[in-house]
This record gives sequence, C-alpha cells and structure tokens, in this order.
Amino acid sequence: MRSPARALIQSAALAFICLLAVPAAFGSDRDALIFGMLLVGPHNDHGWSQAHYEGGRYVEEKLPGSRMIYIDKVNPADRPGLTIPMVVDDLVDKGAQLIIGNSDDMKDGIREAATQHPEVKFIHISGDDVLTGSAPENLSNLMGRMEYGKMMAGFTAGLTSSSGRVAYLGPLINEETRRLAVASYLGARHAWTAVRGKPAEEFKFKVSWIGFWFNIPGVTADPTQVVRNFFDTGYDVVLSGIDTNEALILANQKRAEGSAVYALPYDYIGSCTSAPDACLGVPYYNWGPDYVRIAKSVMNGSWKQAWTWSNPDWKDINSADSSAIGFAAGPALSAENRSRLDSFIADLGSGRLNLFTGPLNYQDGSVYLKTGEIATDKQIWYLQQLLQGMEGASK
Amino acid sequence: MRNFKRHLTDTLLILAIALLFTGLLLLVVGASPLEAFGQLLSGSFGSWSRLARVLNVWIPLTLCSLGLLYAFRSGLWNIGVEGQMVLGAIGCTAVLRWGMDTAAPQLMLPVALLAGLLLGSLWALLAGWLKIRGGVHEIFAGLGLNFVAMGLILWLIFGPWKRPGIASMSGTELFPKALWFPTLEGWRVSPFALLLTLAAIALTAWVLNHSRFGLNLKAVGHNPRAVTLYGLSAQRYMLIAILISGALAGLAGGLQVSGIYHRLIPAISSGYGYLGLLVVMLANFKLLPIPFIALFFAALNVGSIQLPMMLKLDSSLSGVIQGACVLSALLVFGVRRLREGRSG
Amino acid sequence: MQIELQQIHKSFGNHHVLKGIDLRVDAGTIHGLVGENGAGKSTLMKILTGYLSRSAGRILLDGEEVNTADPATAAALGIGMLYQEPQDFPPLTVLENFIVGRDSHPDNHRGRQQQRLSELSEQVHFQLHGSDSVERLTVGERQQLEFLRLLGRDARLMILDEPTTGISDRQKARLFAALRQIREQGRTILLVSHKLEEIAALCDRVTILRHGLVSGEEDAPFHIPRLLELMFDQPPGSRAQPQQCPSGKLLLALDQVSTAGERTGLNGCSCRIHQGELVGLAGLSGSGQGLFLRLAAALQQPQTGAVSFRGISLSGRDHRSVRRLGGTFLPANRLEEGLIPGFTLTDHFTLAHGCSRSEAREAATQAIARFNIRATPESRVESLSGGNQQRLLLSLIPTSASLVLLENPTRGLDVASAEWVWHYLREQFCSQGALIFSSAELEEILAVANRILVFFDGRVVRDLPIDQVDYQDVVAAMTGG
Repeated sequence: MRSPARALIQSAALAFICLLAVPAAFGSDRDALIFGMLLVGPHNDHGWSQAHYEGGRYVEEKLPGSRMIYIDKVNPADRPGLTIPMVVDDLVDKGAQLIIGNSDDMKDGIREAATQHPEVKFIHISGDDVLTGSAPENLSNLMGRMEYGKMMAGFTAGLTSSSGRVAYLGPLINEETRRLAVASYLGARHAWTAVRGKPAEEFKFKVSWIGFWFNIPGVTADPTQVVRNFFDTGYDVVLSGIDTNEALILANQKRAEGSAVYALPYDYIGSCTSAPDACLGVPYYNWGPDYVRIAKSVMNGSWKQAWTWSNPDWKDINSADSSAIGFAAGPALSAENRSRLDSFIADLGSGRLNLFTGPLNYQDGSVYLKTGEIATDKQIWYLQQLLQGMEGASK
Repeated sequence: MRNFKRHLTDTLLILAIALLFTGLLLLVVGASPLEAFGQLLSGSFGSWSRLARVLNVWIPLTLCSLGLLYAFRSGLWNIGVEGQMVLGAIGCTAVLRWGMDTAAPQLMLPVALLAGLLLGSLWALLAGWLKIRGGVHEIFAGLGLNFVAMGLILWLIFGPWKRPGIASMSGTELFPKALWFPTLEGWRVSPFALLLTLAAIALTAWVLNHSRFGLNLKAVGHNPRAVTLYGLSAQRYMLIAILISGALAGLAGGLQVSGIYHRLIPAISSGYGYLGLLVVMLANFKLLPIPFIALFFAALNVGSIQLPMMLKLDSSLSGVIQGACVLSALLVFGVRRLREGRSG
Repeated sequence: MQIELQQIHKSFGNHHVLKGIDLRVDAGTIHGLVGENGAGKSTLMKILTGYLSRSAGRILLDGEEVNTADPATAAALGIGMLYQEPQDFPPLTVLENFIVGRDSHPDNHRGRQQQRLSELSEQVHFQLHGSDSVERLTVGERQQLEFLRLLGRDARLMILDEPTTGISDRQKARLFAALRQIREQGRTILLVSHKLEEIAALCDRVTILRHGLVSGEEDAPFHIPRLLELMFDQPPGSRAQPQQCPSGKLLLALDQVSTAGERTGLNGCSCRIHQGELVGLAGLSGSGQGLFLRLAAALQQPQTGAVSFRGISLSGRDHRSVRRLGGTFLPANRLEEGLIPGFTLTDHFTLAHGCSRSEAREAATQAIARFNIRATPESRVESLSGGNQQRLLLSLIPTSASLVLLENPTRGLDVASAEWVWHYLREQFCSQGALIFSSAELEEILAVANRILVFFDGRVVRDLPIDQVDYQDVVAAMTGG
C-alpha cells in the first residue's frame, strides 16, 4: 500500500506541473477582429440564442480573419456567481474588440462593462440605453422590427384557425413583449375579419405569460402546461413568444392524438424542422447582415453609436444577406393561405397596409390611437398595455 | 507533523483520484484532459481579473462553509444555508433600498450588511427552533425554509421590488454606484469583503479550536446527552451554532448583493450553500482545509467558463470534478478509518 | 415437545455467564424460569431462540440433538418466543401482521389466513379483528396478536419473557387461561418472570438460576420463601455495619411523584432525603430506581407530583439548576450518557470545571494520581477501560457537591476498587450532603447504605433504615412479596 500511494502522489504532482506549463494565452493577435458573444440561452436552443449564434457564424464567414468567442447560458440561474462585467473582462483579456450581449436582462451589466472598457465596442440587443441617453459612447442598441414578423405569424394563425381562438405564449411582461403580442394580435385579427370576413366578436386572442424567456423549473410557469391548457380550452393555434419551442412540440403531440392544432415558433429560421406538420411558419431574426455591418465599422474605425431598429428587406424578406426579419412559411400552411400571406407581406412592404392605425384602444379602454392615427416608432416601442380585444395581463 | 503529512497525502490522493476520473471521462468524450485542466487553471489564476473573480466566489463560499462548520460542530446539518443567504440578501437589499435616498448612503453599507447578518441568523434560528421545539429534523426544516426563502425572494422581485414597468428574472433595479461596495481600481474584489472573510476565518479558528465555547460546542456535537451532566444546555448550544451559521450565510448573501450583483436577483445564493456542504465534507469537517478547498472550488467554478468558450466543452465539468473530489474524499477517509479500526 | 438442555456454557470473552445449565422441560407443561438479574436467564433464552451461539453443551428436542444456529432454524424447529416488547409492524393491520414473514408459505391466501386467525382467536377467547390497525391496539392486544402468530406457526415450545409487563389484569387473566389451554394441547411453555406469584399460580415446575448455574428446581405447589432463598445469595453472617453520618437538614423531597419511562414508570413516590443519608435503591433492574435518580437530577420531569431540592421546586427546571444547587448525577451508561467520546481527560475537566486548559490539565493529572486512573491527561475517554471510565466520572464530581446521585456506581470495578470508591464517596460527601445510589447487587446496598428504598413495579415498597432491614423481607419485596 505504501509505495503505490507514493507513486500516485508523485504522478499527481507531475500532472499539476504539466498543467501549469500549459500556455495560458490562446488568443492570437493575427485575428483581424475578435468579437465576443454573450448568449443568454444555449447556443443550440432552436430559438433566440441560436439565431444570434448563427449571426456570429455569418460574420466569421463574410469577414475573413474575424473570430467569434461565444459563451452561452449567461444567466445567474445557469451560471451562478457569473456577472456580465466579469465575463466581459475575460473576453477583453482574450482580445475582443466588439462584444454583443443578446438579452434584455444584460442591460445593466453591459452598461457597466462598457463604461469600464471604453476602448471596446458593445452592442446590447433589444435595449434602449441609447434612446434614453444612459449609454456610454461605445454602446449601441440593435433590434429587428419583429412586429412585422409577428404580424405575419398572427396573420397565418388567423387564416388557419377554425375555432377563431388564437393564443400567445408570452415570456415576461415588458415593452418589447407587449409590442410583439400586440403585433401578433393585429395580424391575426386582420386575417379573421378583413381577409376571411368573419365577425370580430367570434375572434378570441389570449396571452399567457410564463415569467421568463424560457422554462426555469420551479420559477416560471411550465410552458408545456400553459400550451396544453390553451389547446384544451379550444385554442387551436398557439404563437410562441418565448425562446424555446415547447409550443410546437406539444402541438405535434396533440396532432398525433388527432386534434387539428398548430403552432408558430419564434426567433430562429430552422425552428420548424422539429415538427414540420404542426408548423405554420416562423418569424425569425437574421442578425448576420447587421452584425457584419457593425463588425466592419469596428474594423475600419467608422463605429458610431446608434439605436438601430432594422426593417425586413421588403424585396425579399427571406434574404439571408439583407433582411433583418424574415418569415419562413411552414409546411403546414395551405397553398391558398400561402398566397394570401404573400399579398399581405406585399401590402405591408408597400405601405398600403399599416396595422398600427387607429382606432385602437388600450385594454383599459383608454385611447391608444385615434381614428386614422398612425403610430410613431416610439409609440410602438414603448407600448404601455395590451390592446382592447386581447385577453391577458398587461403588467 | 505526522498528522500534517497524513493530511497532505490524503489531499493529494483525493485530487489524484478525482482528476484521474475526470481525465478518463474527458478522453471518453474525445477531449484532451491536459488542455481542459490547463484551461481550468489558466482560466482561474491566469490573470489578476480572473483571480479577482475567483476571490469573489471564494468569499461567500468560505463564509458559508465556516458557518456550516459551526453547525456541524454542534451535530446539526444546516441544509438551510441557501435560504439563510437569500434572507441575508433580502435584508441587505431592504436597507439599501431604504437608504438610497438618505443623505449619506455610504453609511448604509455597514448597516445593510448587519441587516443581512441579522436576517440570515433569524432564518437559521427558525430552523433551529423548529428542530428543538417542534421536533422537525433540521434537514427537513432547512430544506423547507429554503423553499420558502426562494418563494419570498421571487415574490419581492416580481412584486413589491420589481423594476419600474418590468418584472424580470434579472432582478431589482441596480443600486446607485454610491451603494456598491468599493473595490480597488480595475480589480473587482472588495478588499473590505476579503478582510472580513479572513477575519472570519481567524475568529472561527480561535473560537472552534481554542475557546471554551468551541470545546463546549464540540462536546454537544459529540454527545448531546452527556453535556447536560456538565451543566451545559445542548439545545442552547445548538441554537447558538445554527445562529452563527445563519449569520455567516446572511453576511455572504449581503455581500453578494452589495459587492457582486449590486441588486437582488433570484439566484443570489448561487448555490454556494450546497457547495459549502461539499467543501466542509471534503475538509473532513475541519477548519484548516476549508479556505483552500473553497479556493479550489471557486477556481473550478470560474475557470470552467473557459471550457465552452475555448474548447466547446460543457462547463459542468467543474461540477463533475467537485463531485469526484467529494466521492474520492469519502473513499479515502473511509479506507483510512477502516485501516485504523483494524489496527486499533 | 420435550426440550432438554445439557451442560450449556456461554462465555463472553473472560466472562463466564452460563456455567453448565441442565434443564428439562416436559411436553405439555408450563415451566417457570426465575433468577436475579444477571443470573443468565436472557442469555439462555437467546441461545434457545438462536440469537446467540452457545460455547458448549447440547440441546435436545424430543430426545434428538438439534442445533439452533440462528433464529430461522429455531423457528423452524417449533421454538417461538414472546418478547416483552411486541415484535410487530404497527402500520400494518392485524391480519397483515399475522401473515407477515411467511411469504413462502404454501397456504398464504388472505382469506384462508383470515379464517385461521379467527379460529385461533376464538380458541383462546381473544377478540382481535383482522382488519384492525395494530397502531390502535393496546400493548396487551399486541401481545395477544404475537401469541396468535406463534400459535399459527405451530410453535411447539413457547418462551414468554415477562409477559405480564404493561398489560391489564383482565388481559393477564385471559393470557393465563390461554396458556393453560394450549398446555392441554401438548405444547410446552417456558415462562420467564420476576413475579413469583404469577409463577406460583401458573407453573408446574420451576427452575431457579443463580450466577449462571441452576441453584434449584421445585415442583408445584411452591413455597415462595424457598424460591427466594434459591434466587438470592444467603445473607452473610457478619456484615460491616455501615458508617452512620450525622443526619442534617432536608435536601431532597419527592411528593406523590409519578412519571412514565423504563419498563414500569414510577407511581406515587414520596420520599424525603436529608443531609448525611446514604440511600441505596434496591430492586430488580428497571423497577423505577433509574427514574427516581433522573427525577432527582431533573433530567426528567414528573407527570404529576413535585420534586424539590434544598427547598427549591424542580418543576420546569433542568439539570443545570440542580448542578448549580450542588447536585450531580452519574449515569450507568458511562460512554453514552456520562462521557464524551473523542474528548480527552483534560477536555472533560475543562467542560466540568469551566476552567482554562492548563488548569484542566493540572486537575486531570491530580485526578489520575488520586483516583488511580490508568490514562494520561491526553488520553481519549473511549480508550479507557470501564473501571477507569467510572473513576474518571467520580473524579469529575465537584468536591462541594451536596447531593450525589449514582446509577450502579461500582459496576465493572473489582472489589478493591469498589471499596476504595465507597470510602472516597463517604468521606467526601456524606457529611456535607447525601448520596443516593442504585445497585444491581443487594449485597452492596446492604453493606454500604444507611437507608434502603426497595422498588417493585414502579413503586417504593419498603423504605427502611439499614438497621431495621430484614434480608428475607427485602428480597421478597423486590419480587412483589
């Protein structure tokens, strides 16, 4: 027993010396641009985080010499003790010149980190620090006009629903999520009343919030249970507003049991693949083009602070190289509805149709838009409540 | 001296077994163990800012582990450290929120820490009281109170203390800079928190190993029935022990709020309460190894971020190493006990 | 079934417990087994039921040698035992308890077993219902269930250990009737009891054990004084007269104190103890002496009645108050209750005296010399022998104590040590206070005490100054006479 133990100890000591000898620096200064990506969820979540991850990959592809260092699951529940400024310090150590944070929740951390690293550029996705004037100069905001994507999603839902009941699986409640739920509602209501010519009172739109962007067992409501509840109470199309695709998975299960139900996932172009038969389509973000533009500006020194709200490319909303927002029609969408959707998109693009047109009232009956009034960007961005006609909590 | 040598042998043996096991695991999934361990090491001690991060984990983890040691000495399993930390964080937040508008917010910081300490110890006292008066085993009382604490913090963050307009998992509104624990320029560790922790270690070393209170506490832990005959109240000592345990956890929670996150978040305890249990078990319920093991665990936690970033490996590897350490420690201690039993 | 034991020996290490027991129990009889505590009764029963192996000797069932190597074998041979504490599963029903443990039995059908339970129950006039939950049954009913279970398993030799403890008189009458009834069926019954009247009423023959030997066998009808004579040692011809201490002021008073615990509880105990008294608590173990000491030490609270020490009521106070008033208690389970395993002698002195370590080490060194403890100040207490542990405990008693309560204080000590201990205790404490001790050995009490309390079944049945003690009377009182 004596000598094997000693041998073990010696080998352990040796192993440690080897570890110490491993060169600590992996970053190489030959990279033209190293950019860091902080993903709130897993990089392969088939949703929000994966869309950003793919956007980063797109940059690496389009800009030779650029390299992404990403870290996913950046949230205190998954990585206890980790704060944004700490990760940023690390990324800066590794040579990152541009750092993207993809969650609303990173707002304070990004701002703090940006203040401490003025030489590094930051993008906070979905934030409004630039609008409110609280951002340091090296921090920009970027967001896509997903309300168009959500209108299209709502539209297909309104076209397809046979019960006239459409549900929205919401994350937590804030201006962004209210905005997207309302856009979905407007699209769906338009399809039901204007396109299908059915009475407005037969149409129901319900929003349930789970409490966060994805399921945290014991903390949020279980999205699967919420969606099951939708289907069990007569809602036959569910639009997902959360980062993960429980709605689609459950719709697929329900279809296997014989109910004609559908779902529309969110965020990521490839989301329909997990259950094509139940998928009416997915409104998705295409971060690549904006990321390339910003990365270039960092490389050539033309960076300027901006609050960017990117439009779809109305010529081809599904163009990978130019459109920030796209809608991938799903296999479950009928041919007839597909052509209706195309003309809807054309009308949105041409400006012939603007669903944010009055009269629209807030849920409490107060006026949001007077008759004929068209909402400004700020009115849409800072939406105060859900609209009259929608069921669900506003705050 | 012989003792020291034996402990060193044990420690190295435990490390070797754990690393061997994890290394094999890495080989199985097709990764290079050398590279992974190298990343862990450089990711935790490779630069000052990384060391600072390690210390930021080390501080609360050490405080929790010290607290646990008091409870263990009196024979109690204080599983409720998590909840006590949460309550400490809540107490600290409450004072800071109230103190934001006062004339001298800096004065609020020590008050906030005291409030954290107080609330943490009261929460622990509740578990102790449930055990002694209600006959509820402290493990169940602690677990139950952890759940209650979690419910409480979520309610506060989503209810009364929510951010204007938005209730979010990301926690309450950030405190103004004046209410952050000051750190050295470019070094994200509060020297005050560091000194506080070192003081706690020194104090604990004296209390547990050299004071009469420590001896009495140990007696209670060893034989609660007999201490009565020496004129000691086992129940009182248990309550005091769990109270200190909760106070240290509450302090850790307060430091998390005022020194690290600068706001209250749902995951404020960061699982350090449970991790602290592993630390203390790995330390074989002794004080001296605790700061070192806590440092090792903190380094693993911090260094593991490098795994997904640099090697595309899941960072849960650090958890695997920690678990493997504890298991091999149990193995080594068990074998030693068996051999001692045979020879003795 | 006839059972015969031949020259059964049992040793635990150097300790010879059974020194060649011969015992024959004829089929269809009720045979009593009596003896003082430590006479070897329970060891013998454990050997019969397979829980202990014997060191030497033979067991014959109906003339054929068998080996009761383990409990299952013994049960298969038809040996069943009814324990003092019911060995059942309270969460289950009566029927489930009746069936449990015979999973492999071919006749394991619930309905048939229910019928069998009813039949047996009717035979012996017990009123048990298969569907009742055992949790709701009284101790007596649970015992009846055990009894039926043994009957249901065709136990041909039934051993009963103190079967009447904790059951009502009616249940006792029923049990005795049932025992007589199954005797008629040819079953053999071995009854172990302290209660000599019960033995006399029920048994056909009695074997008396003393110090691991058979000291006599008697047939019914019995002469109880004769049994007592065989159970206990003869009173020594000359006995050193216990030293008389001057009597002084009242120290301890118990008024109509009752409490639960041990086997029997303590019922309506009243007693006054004065300075200068050295009180011996006699009785078969677990008759209430331990409770008496624990009540006096405020380690246990009375359910009714009052205890006061130096005029201060102990109601709602704990042992620390008693300690502050000068009381001290030494338990019989030294390592479980009295000492702290893992702690050194010095640690113990630090705890006991609340002094610094160096003072404690000094005290430990002195105690080692004075009490002849074979240890160093840094020895851990669990490494000490029982005798040395006891000497350590004695040395920890504050020298100013005015009430010293001792449970079996000389257990494990050799004669010379015991003498020294008593000399020390008397010299140190008798004039300044009172000593109360329990002892399993009546001899010791008679030799040391100046007053004796005799306990039986949770009551004080005699309270006498030592010079008025009649040996035969005390012995009879201990067994309910």
